[in-house]
Amino acid sequence: MESTENGSSLNLNMDRRTLLKSMGVAGLASAPLLNSGMMSAAEAAGQTINFTAWEYQPDTIKSLVANWSKQTKNKVNISFIPNVGYTAGIQARQRGGKPADVFYNFAYNSQKFVNQKWAADLRGLPGAEKMVADMFPSARSRFVAENGAIVSAPYFSAVHMLQYNKKMVAAAGFNSTPNSLQETYDQCKKIKANGVESPYVAYWVKDFVEEYLHVYLLAGNVQPFDKKGDPIFMDDPKTLDVLNWWQAMYKDGMTPKSVLTDDPGKHTSSMANGQAAFYALHHYFLRDIVESKGPSSGDISQAKIVGTGGKTLQMGEVIQMGGKVTGAKKAAAWDFMKTYGYKDKSGKFTTFQKWAASGALCAPYPGFFTDPKVIAAFPDYMDLSLIKDTFQNASDIVPARTSPWYQGFQAQCGTIIHDLLLGNSNARATANALAIACKTAKSGSGL
Amino acid sequence: MILKSHRARREESKRSVSNGRFGFYLALPSILVLLALLAIPAVLTIFQSFFIVPPDGVGIGEFTKVDNYLFLFKNEIFWATSLRSIWFALIFIVGSTVIGMAAALLLNEKFVGRMVLRGLLVLPWACPWLIVGIIWKWFADGNIGLLNGVLMRLNLISEYKDFLSDPSWAIWMTAIAATWRQSCLVALLLLAGLQTMPREIWDAASVDGAGIFQRFRHITLPWLRPALTVVTVLNVIYGLMQFDVIFAMTQGGPGSSTTLLSFLIYRQFFIFTNFGIGSALAVALALIALVGGLIAVKTLYRKIEV
Repeated sequence: MESTENGSSLNLNMDRRTLLKSMGVAGLASAPLLNSGMMSAAEAAGQTINFTAWEYQPDTIKSLVANWSKQTKNKVNISFIPNVGYTAGIQARQRGGKPADVFYNFAYNSQKFVNQKWAADLRGLPGAEKMVADMFPSARSRFVAENGAIVSAPYFSAVHMLQYNKKMVAAAGFNSTPNSLQETYDQCKKIKANGVESPYVAYWVKDFVEEYLHVYLLAGNVQPFDKKGDPIFMDDPKTLDVLNWWQAMYKDGMTPKSVLTDDPGKHTSSMANGQAAFYALHHYFLRDIVESKGPSSGDISQAKIVGTGGKTLQMGEVIQMGGKVTGAKKAAAWDFMKTYGYKDKSGKFTTFQKWAASGALCAPYPGFFTDPKVIAAFPDYMDLSLIKDTFQNASDIVPARTSPWYQGFQAQCGTIIHDLLLGNSNARATANALAIACKTAKSGSGL
Repeated sequence: MILKSHRARREESKRSVSNGRFGFYLALPSILVLLALLAIPAVLTIFQSFFIVPPDGVGIGEFTKVDNYLFLFKNEIFWATSLRSIWFALIFIVGSTVIGMAAALLLNEKFVGRMVLRGLLVLPWACPWLIVGIIWKWFADGNIGLLNGVLMRLNLISEYKDFLSDPSWAIWMTAIAATWRQSCLVALLLLAGLQTMPREIWDAASVDGAGIFQRFRHITLPWLRPALTVVTVLNVIYGLMQFDVIFAMTQGGPGSSTTLLSFLIYRQFFIFTNFGIGSALAVALALIALVGGLIAVKTLYRKIEV
C-alpha cells in the first residue's frame, strides 16, 4: 500500500471497511486541519493547475474556477473534452505524457486510474478523511477503495427516481406510484389501456443500460455483487424475476420500441407532452421535464423507485488529482479539489450550491441538504427531503461499480441486456451471460 | 524530327536529375511528417500486437508471440463482428459510389442552379462524422423522424417504423447515414474527373450513333477509372473504419447489430486497456482494408497505354 507524500496520521494499512468505520473519528480528529492545511494557502499560491473537464455547463465551470483562482491567486488552465469520448480523451492524455493535475472522471474509472498511478491516493491530505466522514455512509465507498485509498472527491451525485404523471396514474385508478416491479408493470398496462401507447420510458441505450440493471436488481431485492465483487446476482432466483419483468416491459409494449436508442431529451419531451406516464432516471431530470413547459409538465411529480428491496441506485461522477502532482502544486490542486468537491475555505458548499441552482445536481453530504442556499436553489416542485431520504436510507452505490475491472463488465452489459429485451435470449441465459461478462472483465479477456 | 546533340541530351538528363532531386528536397518535410504520423504508429501497432502491453502504456511488456491473434481467431465475436464490418462497408462502398457517380453526372450537365447545387454538395462533407450521426438519428427517429413522415406521405409504409431499435434495420440505417456524407466527396472527385474529359469524344460517339448508356459504359466509365479507383479505395477505408456515425446513432446496438471492428478496438484500448489485443484487432482491420483496397485496384485500375 502506498502512502501519500504528506503522510497521514491514520493507519494506512487498514482496509476500506475499517477505514469507513473510523471515518467519523478520523473526521473529527482532522477537522482542524481542514482550514489550516498541511501546506498553507500562501505557500500554495502562484501555482498553475491544469484542469480537465467534460462539457457539461462549461460557463458554470469557468465561473467556479475563476472564483477559486481569484481567492487563492492560483491560475487554472481549463481544458474541455466532449462528453462523448471523454474516457478515450483523458486516457490518451495520460499515456501521451500530458496528464491533467485535476480532472473529472467517471466513477467506474476512478480506482483503475489510482491503480495505474494516473490519479493520486488522497489519504493524508488535509481534510480528506473529514471529507469522506461527512458523506452519507451509503456514498463513501465510491470514494474509498477496498484497500482504504481515497481515490476521488465528488463532482456530483444523483439517485434514480421515478418521474410520473399524477393525472395519468390517478386516472388509471391508482392512488400511489408502484411499490414493486410487478406493480409498475400493472400500472403501465392499465395506463396503456387508457390510451397512452408507451407509458414507461427509460434511458435503456447500450452504454447506459447497466445502470438500470442495478436499479432493477436493487428494486427486486437482489444484491448484485458481494464484497469481493463477485456476481452473486446470478445465484439469486429473484434475478430471473427481475429479468423476466424487464423483458416483458419491452416485449409487451410498455415502453416505446425505440427506447433502446432514445436519448433522455426525447423521454423528457414524451413526459412533458403527455405521451408517457413514468420516466425512471436520475432525480434532476424532473427539472428538465417541468421547465420544458409542455402541456403535461405541470402534472409531473417524483417518487422513489420502490421495490421489495427498498433501495435504488445512487450514482455520481468524481474529480481526481493527477498521479504526478507534487509539492506546492499538490497543495494547490487539493485546495481546488476541496472547493470543487467539498467545501470552500469558509466551510460552505459554494460549488454545490451553484450546481444545485444550475442543474439540480446533488452532493453526497447530509450537510448539503440542509444548506439554506441549496434549499433555495431547488425549485418547489422538487421534494428535496424525498431526495435526501433516498440518499440516506434508500439507495446503494453498488461498490463493485468503482472496481478497476468494472468498466469491462459495463461495456458488455449493453449487448447482453439488449439481447434479452429483443427476445434473443431468456432470463436464465442472460444471468449466465452477465456472470461470464463479469468473469472476463475481471480477467481482462473480454472482447 | 529534330536530332539533339549528345551534349544537349546530357545537359537535359543532368537537368532532369537535378529537378528530381530538387523535387525530393521540396517533398522531404512532408515525407518526414507522414513518416512520423503514419509509419511510426503503424509499425508500433504491429509491434504491440505481439505483446501484452502494460495498461499505462509505459514499456513494452511481455512478448506473447502470436497469442493475441490466436485469441482473436478463436473468438466467435471477432468473426461475427468482422463479417458485420465487411457487410457495412459493402453497403457503404456501393451506396456512396453509385449515388456519388449519379450526382457527378448530373452536376456535369448544364442547367440553372448548377453552381448552387455544386456548392451544396460540400455541406454534408464539411460536417464531422459525429454530427452526421446526430442529424441522422433525429431524421430516422421512429416517432418524430422526418424520414418516417416522408415514407408515409409516399405510401411506402403504413405506420411509423423504428429503424434504429430494429436490429435488422439498424445496420442499414447507419450505413445509409454514413453513405450520405461520403457520396458528396465521391461526387466531388468524380465531377473533377468528368471535367477533364474532352466533350468532343462524347460528341464523336453520338455522331457514330452511340446511345447514352453506351457512351456512359464505353467512354465515361473508362475515363473515370483512375478517379473511381481512388474513390473506391477511400470508400473501402472509410467504410471499414467507421465509428463516429454509428456511435452517435446506436452506440453499436441494439444488441450487437451495429457493433463493428472499430468498436472492439475502441473497447480494447480504452475500456479493457488491453493494448496487445487492441493492436491485433487494428492490424486485422488494416489487413481487411488492404485486401479490399487491392481488390478495388485490381478490378478498376488499368494502365493507360500511350
